[in-house]
Amino acid sequence: MASIKQTVSAPIVAQAKDETANGPGLSRRAWIDIIQGFQSWRVWWLLGIGDIRQRYRRSRLGQFWITLSVAIFIAAIGTVYSALFKQPIEKYIPYLATTYITWTLISGIIIDSTSAFIQAEGFLRQQALPKSTFILRILVRNFVSFGHNIVVLPVIFLIFGVSPAWTWFAALGGLVLIAVVGFLGGLVCAILCTRFRDLPQIIQNFVQVAFFVSPVAWQVDLLDESVRHWVIINPFAAFLQMVSEPLLGRLPGAITYTSAAATIGVSALIAWVLFRRFRQRIVYWL
Amino acid sequence: MTSITLRNVGVDFPIYNARGRSLKANVLRRVGGHIDSHDGEIVTVEALRDINLELRSGDRLGLVGHNGAGKSTLLRVLAGAYEPSRGVAQINGTVSSLLDMTMGMDPELTGRENITLRGIFLGMTFQEIAELTPAVEEFTELGGFLELPMRTYSTGMTLRLAFAVSTAVQPDILLLDEMISVGDANFADKAESRMEQVMENSSILVLASHDPAMLKRYCNKAVLMNGGQIVAAGSLGDILEQHSGTESVA
Repeated sequence: MASIKQTVSAPIVAQAKDETANGPGLSRRAWIDIIQGFQSWRVWWLLGIGDIRQRYRRSRLGQFWITLSVAIFIAAIGTVYSALFKQPIEKYIPYLATTYITWTLISGIIIDSTSAFIQAEGFLRQQALPKSTFILRILVRNFVSFGHNIVVLPVIFLIFGVSPAWTWFAALGGLVLIAVVGFLGGLVCAILCTRFRDLPQIIQNFVQVAFFVSPVAWQVDLLDESVRHWVIINPFAAFLQMVSEPLLGRLPGAITYTSAAATIGVSALIAWVLFRRFRQRIVYWL
Repeated sequence: MTSITLRNVGVDFPIYNARGRSLKANVLRRVGGHIDSHDGEIVTVEALRDINLELRSGDRLGLVGHNGAGKSTLLRVLAGAYEPSRGVAQINGTVSSLLDMTMGMDPELTGRENITLRGIFLGMTFQEIAELTPAVEEFTELGGFLELPMRTYSTGMTLRLAFAVSTAVQPDILLLDEMISVGDANFADKAESRMEQVMENSSILVLASHDPAMLKRYCNKAVLMNGGQIVAAGSLGDILEQHSGTESVA
């Protein structure tokens, strides 16, 4: 018989918000939750991979349906829209491919995080698991999915003659920033959606609208110069461009990074305030 | 040092009806004003109230009480899943709650993959799981079925697998909601001796049960719960007597 070597080594101290416990207690436990969440990587890794496997189990193509469906979308929409926007197809399809794949990652994280805790009810009501684990699981699920999607890029780049560039490394940085904002924003989304069950529907709607108002299918250059700067206030645009522009050999401007940093800062603040205050209530809302 | 300390622990469940849980109700409550005040209030159920409990190494506690007395909620507080709404709960030691043994198991995965998944939730590393797997496989007697998806298993086979993994690690604190019995006669004997071994080696045991014989066999003290409160604590004999007393009154 093995003895348990727990990955979570600190004793479980659950203290309610009353006279004996004040602010620092709550902060400390919220912080411990996040640290233990990252330490329990085995849990979120296996759950995240399992989500992908489960979705495509028993299908012949398996998870490569992800790749196939994104390839079909890009081919179809790319052909139609390049005619519609009167863009040369060899420029438009690589653009659409990079933005759409990045968009799928961002929107996937948002939509999946609405059910992060609700889906984990069985676990959370049973065992003292860090809540943040289940946000990280959503990130794993969506980044694995992204890994399957990105397979179409080399093919498209070969067909349309987009050459490799050093700026590709900047795209990696962009992905890291998406992971950071995804964790923070996902946490906010997950907490609020567990408490208010109408929110998942609202957020799904919002994400659909965001697709059309963000430069995924259309290019910023097509806008009149007088309205172009409005794109900057859309945080989705900033995170999209941080990945898609470097892939096409261009570096996004400083304003893009500033906008992304501001978004991360704001979501970190909201996430911390909500998580600190309501972390222990989440399980009661399930 | 393994210990459990609960001081004035209370657990409240907010019950949001369809309106209370929706954003609409919250928004309307602010701007409306014409909504009946009853709709604005959140109903809370007090599942536990003023629970004081002190358990040390060697304690075998029986939880006695009617359905809805708060036994399962208390077990979930002890497991660390519910952080109390009021009071302080301090639990030192590794906890194994066999409240739901199949937690985290996935019917689409094979038996062997499920051993890994369940093991991870028990806090093991991949290395430790790999070392433990042969023993678990042998214990389940499932043989070739371990290569098949768990959805092909019968209920009994699933429980065998869950039981074998769940009891493969030795916790400091063991929480049980009713004594577990799995499998057919042969396996049940094997499972019982395994269960008893885990119970014996754990330094604190908390067993909620309606079966006096089971409680007498495994526990050395007990608390009687009613309406979310501990109404009596003491030796097992006294508590069982009090419990049967309330039963005849009811």
